[in-house]
Amino acid sequence: MSRLAVVLPRRIDLIFLLALVVLTAVGVAMVYSTTSGTFRADLSSRQLLFAGLGLAAAAVLVSIDYRILLQYSPWLYGASLMVLVYLALFGSRIAGAKSWIRLWGGFQIQPSEFVKLSAALLLAWVLENDDRTYASGKTIAAIAGAVGAPVVLILLQPDLGGALTYFPMALTALFFGGLRARWWILLIVVGAVLGGGSWFLLKEYQKDRIRTFLDPNLAAQGAGYQVRQARIAIGSGGIAGKGWMKGSQSRLGFLPVRHTDFIFAALAEEWGFLGVSGVLALYGLVLARGFAIARDARDRGGAMLTLILSINITVEALVNVAMNVGVLPTTGITLPFVSYGGSSLIACWGMAGLCLSVAYRRFVNV
Amino acid sequence: MTESAREDRRPVLVRLGRLAIGAWVVFTALFGVYWIEQVLRGDEFARQAENNRERSVPVTAPRGLILDRNGTAMAENEPSFALLLYRRETLDLDGSLQFIAGLLGHSRDDFLKKVERDRTNYDFVPVVLEENLTLAEVGAIQARALEHPEFVVQISKRRIYKNGTVAAHALGQLGEVTSSQLVKLSGRVRPGEAVGQKGVEAAYQDLLAGSSGARTFIIDSYGRETAELERVEPVPGNTLTLTIDLELQQIAEAYFANRVGAAIALDPRTGEILAFVSAPSVDPNLFTRRVSRKEWSEILENPNHPLNDRVLQNLYSPGSAWKPFVAYAILKRGIQPGERVFCSGAATFYGRSFRCHGVHGSVDLPTALQVSCDVYFYTMGKRLGIDELAEAGHAFGFGRLTGIDLSHEKAGIVPSNEWSLSVRKHPWYPGETISAAIGQGPVLVSPLQMARAFAALANTDGALPTPHLFHIGENFRSGERFIYRPPVRESVPFAPGVRETIVEGLWRVVNVPGGTAYASRVAGLDICGKTGSVQVIGQKDTKKAHLLPNELKDHGWFAGFAPRNNPKIVVVVFVEHGEHGSSAAAPLAARLCAAWLQKNRPAVPEAPGIARAGAGPETPPVGAGNGG
Repeated sequence: MSRLAVVLPRRIDLIFLLALVVLTAVGVAMVYSTTSGTFRADLSSRQLLFAGLGLAAAAVLVSIDYRILLQYSPWLYGASLMVLVYLALFGSRIAGAKSWIRLWGGFQIQPSEFVKLSAALLLAWVLENDDRTYASGKTIAAIAGAVGAPVVLILLQPDLGGALTYFPMALTALFFGGLRARWWILLIVVGAVLGGGSWFLLKEYQKDRIRTFLDPNLAAQGAGYQVRQARIAIGSGGIAGKGWMKGSQSRLGFLPVRHTDFIFAALAEEWGFLGVSGVLALYGLVLARGFAIARDARDRGGAMLTLILSINITVEALVNVAMNVGVLPTTGITLPFVSYGGSSLIACWGMAGLCLSVAYRRFVNV
Repeated sequence: MTESAREDRRPVLVRLGRLAIGAWVVFTALFGVYWIEQVLRGDEFARQAENNRERSVPVTAPRGLILDRNGTAMAENEPSFALLLYRRETLDLDGSLQFIAGLLGHSRDDFLKKVERDRTNYDFVPVVLEENLTLAEVGAIQARALEHPEFVVQISKRRIYKNGTVAAHALGQLGEVTSSQLVKLSGRVRPGEAVGQKGVEAAYQDLLAGSSGARTFIIDSYGRETAELERVEPVPGNTLTLTIDLELQQIAEAYFANRVGAAIALDPRTGEILAFVSAPSVDPNLFTRRVSRKEWSEILENPNHPLNDRVLQNLYSPGSAWKPFVAYAILKRGIQPGERVFCSGAATFYGRSFRCHGVHGSVDLPTALQVSCDVYFYTMGKRLGIDELAEAGHAFGFGRLTGIDLSHEKAGIVPSNEWSLSVRKHPWYPGETISAAIGQGPVLVSPLQMARAFAALANTDGALPTPHLFHIGENFRSGERFIYRPPVRESVPFAPGVRETIVEGLWRVVNVPGGTAYASRVAGLDICGKTGSVQVIGQKDTKKAHLLPNELKDHGWFAGFAPRNNPKIVVVVFVEHGEHGSSAAAPLAARLCAAWLQKNRPAVPEAPGIARAGAGPETPPVGAGNGG
C-alpha cells in the first residue's frame, strides 16, 4: 500500500483528473440551480450518484491494462453493436426515439453513449496496426466502417444529435492515421453534397432548427425562441454573472432544456464571463493534458486512444458551447461532464478512465 | 507490431502540433464570442432579460351565435372570468395552490389534479384552474396579484342559452373536450376548452368554433404587462341560423311544461324543422359551468330521463298512427278504397279474438281511417301479409335513419319475415300480422320518422324530405353564406289516386264528425292527420283507463299536416302516458298548425286556446323560398 501511495500520484495525471472533477462538480451545481423549485428537483442528487458511478467506472478502467482492452476491442465493439441492433429491433420508444433501455427505479440507460467507448478502442486498435505516415485504404475503410455502423443504427432510433457525436471521432482517427490532402478535399466535397442532400431527409423540426439558426429573429416565439432566450441568458450574465441560483432567465423557465442542452447558457447567466472563461479553460486543460498523455504514451495504440477520446470530449464541449450562444444550430449535443444525464456522465468518466490508464502505463519499464 | 513501428511518432507529433494550433484558434474564437455577448453587449441583454418576460395568453374565439329562422338569438356569449396558473412563475407550487384554494374556498387537491393533467404541456402554457369566477373572486385575486404573479384572471366569453330549456335537445350543449375529441380535433382545440357535446353545438362544432388567437405580452418581474409583443386575433365562429321558429317552439314547449314526450313540426317541402321538443330536458346553461355532483345525480335519477332525446333516440309503437301507411299498402295491392269490412267491435283471426275500440259497422278505407277502425285494418293486414306492410313502411322511410343533421339517431324496426329470421331467428308468425296492421307488436318508430313519413303524405309528389336544423351559416367577417344542401331526394311512388284517398281519410279524422280528432278541428285550416294510442299494458278495460296510475296509461300520438291543399306544415306530437292521441296530442298539433299558417297567411282565424297578437312586423318566414 505504501508503495501505491508513492506511485499513484506520480502515475495518475492529476491535472487531467482534477479538471474533470471540477467540471463534474460545476455540472452538479448547475443541475441543482436549474432544477430546484421545480418538480425535477431530484435531478441534482441523481447527477451526484451518476458522478460516483462514473468515478468508479474510471477507477476500474485505470486498473485494467488498456492494451488488453485494445486486443479485445473487436469483440467489445461487436457486443456493443448488438445492443444497438437490439434497440433498433425491439426497443420501446421513449420521447419519440428508441434510444433507451429501461432499468429499475425509474432509471434508464442510453447505450449509444457507451458504444463510443468501444468504438474509440476499435479505432485505436486499427491505427495501432497501421503505422505508415499515410493510412492504407484498408485502414481508412476500417475507420469508416467502425464509425458508420453505430451512426446508422443510432440514426434509426432516430437520434441525429447522438449520431453526430461520432464524427469527431472518425475525423480524429483519419487525421492521425494520416490522410493525404486530396482525400481531405474529397471528404469535404462529399460531406457537403451529402449534407445538402440530407436536407431532404431531415424531419421538419430538424429543418426548423437549422432555419432558426440561420435567422433566430425570424420566429420570435416559435423555434427561434430557444436560441433567442439562450442568447439573452448568456448576454445578461455580464462579466461576473447574476450569482448562483439567481439567473432569472433559467429559473423563470425561459431557457429550454436548461439542465441538459442549454446548461452552459444557464451557467453563463449565473456565473458570467468569468465562469464561462473558467469552464472553457478547464476543457482547454483537458485537451492539453490529453495531448501530453498521447505524447508520452508507451505505444501508438495508447496515443491514438487518448487523442480520440480527449478530442472527442473537447469537440463535443466546444460544439455545445457554440450552440448555446447561437454560433451553431441546436443539435441535441450535451456538454460533457456538466449536462444532466447518467449515461453521458458515466460514459465520459469511462473515457477519462481510459486516458488515465494510458497515462498510468506510460513507463515501459514498469 | 515491431518496437520500431511503435516508436515512429514523428508524423503523429507534427499533426498534434497542427491540431493544437487549430484548437487555440477555436478556443480563442469562442472566448471572443462570449466576450462580445457578455461583456460588450452585456447591458443590452441584461435589460432584455429584465424586461423580457414574455407571456402568451391564448384567446379563445367567440363561439358563433345560434339564431332561430327569424334571427332571434337562441345561443349567445357573455363575459366570464377564468383563473389561469403560470407554472413557470411558480417557485413553490404547493404554496401557490394552498393560497388559491384558501382564497376561493376550494380543495387544493382539485387544483393539483388540473396541474397534473397539464404536466406534459410546456410550462409557459398556463393551466386553467377555475372557470366562471364571480366578480368578488376576481377582486380578491387581483388584490393579491403582486404577491402571486403566477395567477392571472382571464376574461373570456361564456356560452349562454337565453331561453333556458327551450329547444335544449336541438341546441345540445357544450362540455370540456374529452381526450378522444382532442385527438379527433387535433390542433383546433386545447385541453380544457369547451366543445359541442350534443345537438347542433356538436354537429356544427367546426362551423361554430372559429379559431383561437393569442396575445404575447412582455411582463415585468411583478407580473405586470408592460407591452404587447404580438397579437393574433381570434377568428369568431360563424353565425348559425337554424330552421327552428322560436314562436312555434315556445308554443310547443309551453304545452309540454307538465308533460313528457316529443313534438316536431317541419316544412314538408324542404324538411326544415320548425319546432323540436323533447320533454323533459336539462337547461344547457348548466353545462357551461361545472355541474355539481348533486345536480348531476338529480339529472340521472329523474325517472323521465331528461337526457334522452325523444324526437330521434326514443322508439315507440306507432299505434293507429301507422294506419295511413297500411292504407298505402292496401291501395298498392289494388284493393278498391270502396271495399267494405264489417266491424262488430271485434273479430277472430287464427282462433283468437281481436278487439276494436268501437263498433263501426260497415266501413270503407277513408272511413276506417276517420274512425280508426281496427277490424278493417286487421282484415286487410291479414290479406296483405307482413312483407307488404313492411314494404309500405320502408317506402315511407321507417326502419332506417332519416338523415337529420344530428348524431345518435335510431333507425327503429319495421318487422318482416326477413327481419324475424335475421333478428329473432325464427319465422314470422302470421298471427302477429294482425296487431302489426294497427301499429302494435314489434313495429318501432321515432317521432322524427313519423314526421318525415307524414311529409311524404303531405307532398303531392310524395317527396320524402331530409329533416334538418341547419338553415344558413354566415361568416362573421366576410358575410359569406352557406345554405343547407339537401342530399339526394327520395320520394314515395304514389299510383294515381292513392295519395288523395289516404288524404281524404286523414282530412275526415279532423274535420268530419266521428273523426277521432274532430274535437281539435280549426275551421278553415283543413288539418289532415291521424291519432294513435299505444297500449302500455296488454289487456285492460278501456272504460277504466282513467283510473290507472300514470305510468300505465297509454301513450298518445297525433301526426298530421295542414292545410289539405298545398300543405305547409307537418306536425307530430307524442305524449307519453297521455291516454289518447285525440285528447293529449291533437290539440297541440292544431295550435302549431294554426300559428304557422297564420304567419304565412294572416287571414286564418285563430286556433282555440291560443291568444296571439297579430303577426305584424315580423320577418317573413324564409321557408317558402328555400325549397330545393
